[in-house]
Amino acid sequence: MRLKKVWKKRILFAVILALIPLVIMLLVKLVPQPPKGEVEYARLVISQAASNNAAIYSKKLYGEAKALYDSAMVNWNKENRRFIYFRNYEKVSSFAELSAKKAEQATKVSKNNVTDLNILLKHKMDSLNKMVGQINKYFTAYPLSDEVRSRISKGKMLLKESEVAFKKGQFADSNKKITESELLLTDSYKIATTSLKEYFNSYPVWKNWVDKAIKESRKNMSYSIIIDKYSRKCLVYLGGVKKYEYHVELGKNWVGDKRVRGDKATPEGMYRITRKFGSNKTKYHKALLINYPNETDKEEFNKEIAKGTLPRSAKIGSLIEIHGDGGRGIDWTEGCVALTNSEMDVVYKIASEGTPVTIVGSTVNLNQLLD
Amino acid sequence: MKNKILMGLAAIAMVAVLSSCGKTPQVEIDAASAAIEAAKTAEAAVYLPAEFAAVQDSLNAVMTEIAAQESKLFKKFGPAKAKLASVVTLANQVAANTATKKDEVKGEVANLMTSIKTVIEENGKLIPKLPRGKEGAAVIEQIKADVATVDAAVVEAQGLFDKGSYMDALNKINAANEKATALNTEVKEALTKARIKF
Repeated sequence: MRLKKVWKKRILFAVILALIPLVIMLLVKLVPQPPKGEVEYARLVISQAASNNAAIYSKKLYGEAKALYDSAMVNWNKENRRFIYFRNYEKVSSFAELSAKKAEQATKVSKNNVTDLNILLKHKMDSLNKMVGQINKYFTAYPLSDEVRSRISKGKMLLKESEVAFKKGQFADSNKKITESELLLTDSYKIATTSLKEYFNSYPVWKNWVDKAIKESRKNMSYSIIIDKYSRKCLVYLGGVKKYEYHVELGKNWVGDKRVRGDKATPEGMYRITRKFGSNKTKYHKALLINYPNETDKEEFNKEIAKGTLPRSAKIGSLIEIHGDGGRGIDWTEGCVALTNSEMDVVYKIASEGTPVTIVGSTVNLNQLLD
Repeated sequence: MKNKILMGLAAIAMVAVLSSCGKTPQVEIDAASAAIEAAKTAEAAVYLPAEFAAVQDSLNAVMTEIAAQESKLFKKFGPAKAKLASVVTLANQVAANTATKKDEVKGEVANLMTSIKTVIEENGKLIPKLPRGKEGAAVIEQIKADVATVDAAVVEAQGLFDKGSYMDALNKINAANEKATALNTEVKEALTKARIKF
């Protein structure tokens, strides 16, 4: 009986011993599994998004993806602190899945944005460089206010900075700079072209003068001198046909008609040579004095005095000449027209007292000019 | 009955013991985080963004691994500890590389500052030689405006340099240098055209 009892105990012990691994296996099996794969995938996708610069070019989506990933990790750690069999990783899984989706979107959006920005920046740089080219071509020698000049300079500098950033692949920075540049340059260009357009409102009058001068030259088979202020050209016609074309330099304030003595403007109108000065009679090599102010100029001047647009103390200008000493590359005269000495020699030779000198803003209209 | 209860308690005790064998390597985590923070303070994100992102990602990977171990009944943090040590090494390396890169950029900015000052100085000497006529001209006005903009950019770059923002200073000084050089060429061309020796 006693032996039987001992054997019974031994069998029971053996059964329990055999059951222990089974119980352990069961205990292990029952532990809830965390979504390691999902979290790992989200991390990888976020890393990919980061290497595609999503933090810069898809900031919102990338930020959301990272926040969701952080939430997944926080929840995972929170669940880990609970009793092992009571853990629930559903939220972790859901956050990780959403994070991965957002990161995938961020990568896609970032890639698209980089491509679009690249194209946009190239286009903007191209068009702003063209605008700078136009500004340089049409307005470098055009009188503009100091403020406009300063804005043009800043715009050009920002464009340069944008190009430097672009070359380094810093598209966001490049975009920031080019946006500022665009604002400054577009604004300045608009101001400058508006001023130019206003100036060219007188074009029909100029055209009429030029046509008359050429017609007279043709009719009389005589010389006629036409000064195109905008393109800085001295055109010499004989018998209605252009014979010579020279570059000229004018007064600093060459835009618009001369209004008053000392305004550094070159007058506009139909004049004639009244006197010729040889090299011993002028300090500018040789000179041809014109009949400025003529009757029309005097009339205009008096009108302005009467209207009060000029002070009563103002005096009308005089001694406007075509002279030598030019070729300096800038507008430097008090309102006269300067040629190089060799070109002045030619003009001096063909000109005589009474030769017509027509001074106009431009011989071509603004559209032709800008084209 | 008594035996059964004893066995059950033994099993629970065994589970409890086994499940608490590994301890979260908090010291190592803190060390890795501190190393990354040090790299961040050294501006690794500015000078070596890709390397910095890689080291941050390495830490994230280890943290996932640690969380996964903490979810297990039988924890094992040995491999994670080794990876954390690698993160520290990598972060320190990135911080050191950042310092080197920063010095390189700083040197580049300093060189450009010196060279642009030479160009600006030369421009300062050449511009008064431009034919000014009786009252100057629009061309000179534009050149003057451009010179003022270059000067302002150099001052701005110097400010960024003094603040230690070498990367921003580099972009600014690069653009200013290109502009100053272009101005120098423009002025020299104008002087040549006006037959003025310089």
